[in-house]
Amino acid sequence: MTRSPKIGEIVLLVMVLSACTARAGEYDFDIPGIKKRPYEIGGNLETRGILHRLNRHGLLYKTKYYDASESATRGEFHQILELNGRVLVGPLRARIKTHSEYVETYRHHDLDHELYEAYLTYNTSPAFTLQTGKRVFKWGKGYAWNPVGFVNRPKDPEDPERDLEGFTALGADFIRSFGPAGLQSLSFTPLILPVSNHINQELGESGDTLIAAKLYLLLYDTDLDFMVRLGPRRPEMYGIDFSRNLKENLEVHGELAYLRGYEHKALDDGGKLASQTSNAFSFLFGLRYLTASDTTLIFEYYHHGEGYDSGEADRFYSFLDQSCRNYLDTKNQQQIDRAGKVRQAYLRDKNFMKDYLYLKVSQKEPFDILYLTPYITLIANLNDGSFSVSPSATYRPVTNLELTLRTIFPIGGSMTEYGEKQDRCRMELRVKYYF
Amino acid sequence: MKKVLMVAVLIFFAAVFPAFALDGNDILKKVDRNLNPETFEMYRKLINIEPDGSRKEFVLYTLKKGADRVVSLFISPASEKGRATLRVGENMWLYIPSVGKPIRITSLQSITGGIFNNSDIMRLDYSAEYNCEKIEERDGQYLLHLKARTRTVAYDRVKMWVHSEELLPAKLECYAASGMLIKTLHFKEIKDFDNGIVRPAVVETDSPLHKGYKSVMIFAGIKRKKLADEVFTINYLSRVGNLR
Repeated sequence: MTRSPKIGEIVLLVMVLSACTARAGEYDFDIPGIKKRPYEIGGNLETRGILHRLNRHGLLYKTKYYDASESATRGEFHQILELNGRVLVGPLRARIKTHSEYVETYRHHDLDHELYEAYLTYNTSPAFTLQTGKRVFKWGKGYAWNPVGFVNRPKDPEDPERDLEGFTALGADFIRSFGPAGLQSLSFTPLILPVSNHINQELGESGDTLIAAKLYLLLYDTDLDFMVRLGPRRPEMYGIDFSRNLKENLEVHGELAYLRGYEHKALDDGGKLASQTSNAFSFLFGLRYLTASDTTLIFEYYHHGEGYDSGEADRFYSFLDQSCRNYLDTKNQQQIDRAGKVRQAYLRDKNFMKDYLYLKVSQKEPFDILYLTPYITLIANLNDGSFSVSPSATYRPVTNLELTLRTIFPIGGSMTEYGEKQDRCRMELRVKYYF
Repeated sequence: MKKVLMVAVLIFFAAVFPAFALDGNDILKKVDRNLNPETFEMYRKLINIEPDGSRKEFVLYTLKKGADRVVSLFISPASEKGRATLRVGENMWLYIPSVGKPIRITSLQSITGGIFNNSDIMRLDYSAEYNCEKIEERDGQYLLHLKARTRTVAYDRVKMWVHSEELLPAKLECYAASGMLIKTLHFKEIKDFDNGIVRPAVVETDSPLHKGYKSVMIFAGIKRKKLADEVFTINYLSRVGNLR
């Protein structure tokens, strides 16, 4: 015998079904992107506006803008498009990264396209990879500087995480993993870097070939790297670095590099740019510390062995000063051209003197503002006492959108690195969208 | 008669003090194995929910081998894609494609923002990180009082409520060494992932330090997978996606 459902049972059934529907709808169990595709494409679009408040008394301003009309501020606009592509075919993987940048300043506008990376890897097992093509290498453990970055493009300590172009190399990567104690893992990365009129011109002359290698060990919970770079017409480079967590919130790292036979160009007493072959040790010591309130401190001391000492820096500034005066008196363009050459030789590295300190303090999500990270950076030249302070913030309010506001204040007296910078202060707003 | 008396006494003690028969660390090991096999791959969706209801989602591909090796790769959103985190014991590294090299990080840092920190996302077996000091049984659940085995573990003490029948966690309270409650994890939606893996598919997290905010982790595609040891090395971090 069947019976019709009672109203109470129907109401109960409806309530149960409603409850079930509500539960199922609480979270979406469909996870996007699980299905792997043999190709991927993506990138980012960035708009960057920069406002320079110029230091018209600074020697670097005077030698660069000697013919410019008097103006206290200058604007600059950059539009950057970066595209990433990846194709996987069995053990072969191809990767490409392009960088296109439109720049507009008060003097000119320019559109430039660069191929940052284009390489192929062949990978039959995790233990062995063969690679060829143009690729970004980042050797070293330092955040602001990398004395052992023998195959890195030079970093800008004011913007150390900025994307850079790679070098073209043929290389391999051998990895071995061991037990949980003692030597835990090891990897060896040899590289061959050819130089031609089209590739790696910064590393030598056409026809040269450089060899570089890095041996990595994870030994007693410490990262250790040993690296070398050898080649004609360039100094021999030997290096070692390390990194280790001392506590759950404290990491220490260091780098030591020895350069044998580098060319040191400096002004002699007669005001001529003279070249001398020298050897130098450079080193870096740093730490990263996280407080209970989510404040991260990055501190680094850098000794730049190839850098200029105080006497050489004084001669450099005196020379620039004299060149500017001579130009104003005589309007002789040669004075400025010579100053430009000397300036180029001295300022080859972003920080050209001997001893520097770096401190970055960042606070994750203050006042419960999710995805906001304000930070302040200090870079100090210990040889002349000048420094730059940079209060900045990054905010990611919605998925794939990143806003960065940076301000940089170089501070120092005359004849000091930051006192003679061409900007009195600089403000940047970056809006970056990832797709 | 003596034997009968002894058996009666034993039965009496077993009935009155059932906890005496339990070993908290054994339960913890069983919880670990019920949550996932020793070596496996899985996908996770992380959702950060703000007090106004707005949310941000991240998708992670994760590989784990043995008790102390785990690697996670962000596969979305585009701004995080390619970021990978490796943990070998207490060593932890982060690889960001634009930075181009793995950097050592601490287990207390957050790689996504929100309430989850690295140790939640790169969690090892509970039994590898914690020792059970005390066990209680109430309302069909075990309450395990866990103490970190070393000072490098993210939470000094954890209270874990475990369903006594399924031996799956129901709730976790994580405390700092000062005794302050840092966060609470709620395990929900027990689901059959095939291959004999039946476990909660959702972990909700809230924190008294971030009132009104909630983070949710949704699990999918948990599968046993053979993995070479070399996968868990910093040189392989940029290539982890090849294994998907």
